[in-house]
Amino acid sequence: MIGIVVVSHSPALAQAAVDLALEMVGETPPPIAIAAGAGDGIIGTDAVKVAAAIDEVASGEGVLVFMDLGSAVLSSTMATEFMTTTDEVRLTDAPFVEGLIAAIVLANAGASLDEVDREARAAMGAKQSQLADQGGAAAADAALAAEAPAAAAPAAPAADGTSADPTEVTVEVPLVNPDGLHARPASLIVQALAGVDAKLTITDVTAGKGPVSGNSLIGIMSLGAAKDHVLKFTATGGAAQQAVDTLVTMTGDGFGELAS
Amino acid sequence: MSTSTISLDQLIAWLSRFRDLVTEKQSYLTELDSAIGDADHGSNMVRGMNAVVEKIGAEPATAADALLKSVGMTLVTSVGGASGPLYGTLFLRMGVNAGPVTELDAAALGAALRAGLEGVVARGKAEAGDKTMFDAIAPALDAWDAAVADGADVAAAASVALAAADKGRLATEPLVARKGRASYLGERSAGHIDPGATSSTLLFQALDDTVSS
Repeated sequence: MIGIVVVSHSPALAQAAVDLALEMVGETPPPIAIAAGAGDGIIGTDAVKVAAAIDEVASGEGVLVFMDLGSAVLSSTMATEFMTTTDEVRLTDAPFVEGLIAAIVLANAGASLDEVDREARAAMGAKQSQLADQGGAAAADAALAAEAPAAAAPAAPAADGTSADPTEVTVEVPLVNPDGLHARPASLIVQALAGVDAKLTITDVTAGKGPVSGNSLIGIMSLGAAKDHVLKFTATGGAAQQAVDTLVTMTGDGFGELAS
Repeated sequence: MSTSTISLDQLIAWLSRFRDLVTEKQSYLTELDSAIGDADHGSNMVRGMNAVVEKIGAEPATAADALLKSVGMTLVTSVGGASGPLYGTLFLRMGVNAGPVTELDAAALGAALRAGLEGVVARGKAEAGDKTMFDAIAPALDAWDAAVADGADVAAAASVALAAADKGRLATEPLVARKGRASYLGERSAGHIDPGATSSTLLFQALDDTVSS
């Protein structure tokens, strides 16, 4: 599993962002270390602390570093000169909160440094997609930008039914949970598909959005699929049927949200 | 000939004098930074340089490289703001360039400062006119090198470098910031002298005070 480092001027900000992200995953989160504050309650960053945090979470599969702004970036670049690990260390320009959430979910599913970084950097997509519904020129731009996550994690086979892949399985089901396909169910989907030998895409048939990759938290969230929308799951690969069955069951159960 | 080179003790005196100057000018640095930044440059530099003076007093260095690297690492871990990695890099690179010597002549000190500035540029990606510490240090070192080429010793070089740094510092006033927190202000950053260029000028003021006294 890759390691994640969170660099902030404020220990409280870093801890809160990590806590928020950890709500998305189970009891075995990926290695995460915080490097925040400059000691003695001073708001700021310290390159030596950042280097120590990188070394702490490096386990051979790479480390992704999130930063808030300004000196956090300078201290992190400097930290790459102080660290002792030989792991690949990537400083990501992903948004601090959204990117961290996306990264922790995907890292927890065992994704590579490249995959996690790409997903994290596309993490503004869900919010941009949500706000695009507000209308206006800026929102239209945002809607275009929101295409990024889908493009970043493209659906391998065509989702238009013309695929010749004999393993392809397609099922359409309605969303029954009241809050639709928000962050938590999206996270459950990504985790359920982790390690499954299938490429699965999700389309919001009702809204005409997608397909997006079932491995992309942000992609799924960018659909903004609401209750009663019909979702189409399309999967290919050795475990295509199993993947679709799993999602149909989860969707039918309202992602565990029906009782509450 | 006492000022033709700078000794280890004078390097230490320079750092101590820099601490005194940033302390003396703390409120002025903070005032400049409150106009275009987050109002912490004065307190950050004072905290950092107090830590430096304490550190080099507790663990006396026996060569310029060890001294300057110790200064750099102390700033990195004690300043907090962007000045930490920036000034930290300046001194770390100066130390690497200076090597394990106990005195530096004007050319060697100029080369060490130049290496430090190159480190700052690599770290912060600042260019001339971005309204940063670069705008004081770069002209100071150009003046330094020109003076040394004409045969100046450390004292003479420090004197012209200070004048150039101060001129560069004052010239940041009309500039629009393109780096750091001030860059968020865009056009509104114009009309204020850059705090980083000001503290960098104090670095040359401290050097001039040290080698001319």
